[in-house]
Amino acid sequence: MFFNSLAFAVFLPIVFFLYWFVFNKTKSIQNALLIVASYYFYSCWDWRFLFLLVFSTFLDYYTGIQIEKGKSDKSRKFWFWLSVLTNLGFLGIFKYYNFFAASFSELLNSVGIQASPILLNVILPVGISFYTFHGLSYVIDIYLKRIKAEYNFVDYSLFVSYFPLLVAGPIERATHLLPQVKVKRVFNFQTAKEGVYQIIWGLVKKVVIADTCATYANAIFDNYTTVNSFSLILGAVYFAFQIYGDFSGYSDIALGVSKLFGLDLLRNFNYPYFSRDIAEFWRRWHISLSSWFRDYLYIPLGGSKGGIWMKIRNTFIIFMVSGFWHGANWTYLAWGFINAIYFLPLLLSNSNRNNIDVIEVSWNFDSVKVIFNILITFSITCIAWVFFRARTITDAVLYLKRMIVNQDFSFQYLDNERYSYELLLVIGLFVLVEWNNRTKVEPLSGKRSMLKVALAIAAIIALGTFSDYKEFIYFQF
Amino acid sequence: MKQFLFYALRILIITLLIAVALDGMYTYVFLQSKNRGKIETVFNSKAKKFDVVILGSSRANNHFVSKMFEDKGLKTFNYGMSGGHLFEASLMLKLMIEKKYEIKNVILEADLNLSNDKESDGVASKFLPYIHSSKVIEKHFSAQDNFNELYYLPFYRYIKYDSKIGFREVYKIIKGESTNALDNLGYYPLVKQKKGNMKNNIVNLNPLPKNKYYEEIKNICKANNINFIAVMTPMCENVKGMNYFDKVKKAYPEIHNFENVVQEDKYFSSCGHMNDAGAKIFTAKILSDFFGKK
Repeated sequence: MFFNSLAFAVFLPIVFFLYWFVFNKTKSIQNALLIVASYYFYSCWDWRFLFLLVFSTFLDYYTGIQIEKGKSDKSRKFWFWLSVLTNLGFLGIFKYYNFFAASFSELLNSVGIQASPILLNVILPVGISFYTFHGLSYVIDIYLKRIKAEYNFVDYSLFVSYFPLLVAGPIERATHLLPQVKVKRVFNFQTAKEGVYQIIWGLVKKVVIADTCATYANAIFDNYTTVNSFSLILGAVYFAFQIYGDFSGYSDIALGVSKLFGLDLLRNFNYPYFSRDIAEFWRRWHISLSSWFRDYLYIPLGGSKGGIWMKIRNTFIIFMVSGFWHGANWTYLAWGFINAIYFLPLLLSNSNRNNIDVIEVSWNFDSVKVIFNILITFSITCIAWVFFRARTITDAVLYLKRMIVNQDFSFQYLDNERYSYELLLVIGLFVLVEWNNRTKVEPLSGKRSMLKVALAIAAIIALGTFSDYKEFIYFQF
Repeated sequence: MKQFLFYALRILIITLLIAVALDGMYTYVFLQSKNRGKIETVFNSKAKKFDVVILGSSRANNHFVSKMFEDKGLKTFNYGMSGGHLFEASLMLKLMIEKKYEIKNVILEADLNLSNDKESDGVASKFLPYIHSSKVIEKHFSAQDNFNELYYLPFYRYIKYDSKIGFREVYKIIKGESTNALDNLGYYPLVKQKKGNMKNNIVNLNPLPKNKYYEEIKNICKANNINFIAVMTPMCENVKGMNYFDKVKKAYPEIHNFENVVQEDKYFSSCGHMNDAGAKIFTAKILSDFFGKK
């Protein structure tokens, strides 16, 4: 069941009605309803993986309590590592085993040792990377005595399985979401209205921007050996907007839906393509994952406090792991590596926190510099996205090479039976709307909100891509 | 909560109004369309007279050279539609009758398409802008599973088939941009392709014993005194399951088998589609066999 499906349009009002009108007496009843709804939501993909979700939930719930109760360090360590290794073990088996087996076999073959890997015939359970990280952060926080263990299984289950964030985040923290599910939610009109704005804007991003960009990006990436330089540049730009619209659209809908239930989720995107350098980009893109890796990997490794080599090592580790989190493919690792290369000069020159203020632009030279920096940051981000989108690293390199050497900048008629440039106007308009509202969570609130909502709905209905239907990209991670 | 429910209701009403307004606008634009496709052209035309009307899929569209009929004094148009099934061919004929066309002969390409009586989404969707303007189209779709959504939900049909009848198509109609669908009197000539696939496997294909839409076309012709000619058209030599055409002959003895009139690969663009040279040989044979024109 996708957020942009008719099934969800039926599911959401039913759960909303039951939540506020039928099961609204206590927070336990509210939570129980949301868990049932979440498990139903999840089972719409594959009910068999529901067992994995329940097991993972129970494991972290139980080990969390055991860690807290542990009388000795040895006992606490035992439960902690049991949870971490089991969680990562599941992730490893479902997501990474085949990749490592195939890569190891290729390595052996390349040195003349014949080997054929034993591959597992398993499909990746949807959302496993997200709910595993929920559980891990919870257990780590208990182990480090940052939080108390949760003894109410229903409340804890809701924290892990809450349907808006279950399959593609944001990756929540126990410190943020658990306290909210511990109290009875009271309906708030203003919050719910904000939720509706976010849902509608999320849909604009998904069906108008992402899915439309996808048809162009696919036509260009799938035929990169025959299209010209201009189309290849556009292909990278279209993919940049596809992945942004897709993922931030999903996050917006998740946050908006949550507001309807009186729950506040972590903000996941903050207009990342308006970043003035790559460090700022990573503070604005997939914020819940970036901050997760910062808090649970980068800082424990020493962060940027050590010597120069430690800084370099930690930067590469965090970006490569972040890339690998997205999927078991060398292209994701390359994407992480490139971002580390982008980030390192800023870190080493202590300028990685130069751009933390609000982006102000007016008619002066400084503003020209700001715009220039934004364009440069967006351009290098697009180059990195080529590696993320390409099937192999070789494809990505050849794509970029052809972009430079072809030197043909004419308009082309693509395989999707459309001209390469056609979408630029829509993207331009979208960027303009987001730019003018960059200090807000979404552009629909404020003055004349009803008119803006009507225009957004008209855009979804008239300009959305529906027949060439696509699921959310991040479901595969 | 009451305030929110009113707010949600307002949004629902706005959505509905937008859908109704867009539906009206799109439908109006499609009602003006005259140079983009065969379906729009028929719908937006008045009584026409034809000696020969050709119906079928791409194997009609690419195989019957209309001009050769015209050269022999037969007013002809090739209404074959690439990707179309008999569902759409039947509806096209019904639409012509509704528009008071006078037709003497219908040539129907009836071979591979006899194996199913389902609609072809890509082609059938082009009839949908007119679903409220034509009783024939409404009735033809009424047996389809999603008829209620398509008919009653405003703008749903334009959303569901946005790549065919969505914003881009509307924009092109307004711009007056034409397609090549109506060139060459509806015939679309193919060229010989160097890497054309000259193999086909139709072993698992079976003609339906009584194809609903084939029977419909036959009955419409009978009811309107139209001479009905059903033909099987050629395929390349390298086909597995060529006995399919014998099965068609057995189930529908009135269909004329021209499958082996053209055989050599040089006359094909791909295994199921002749090139222009092959189409001309085939059309000459049809003209000679059914119209006595050499």
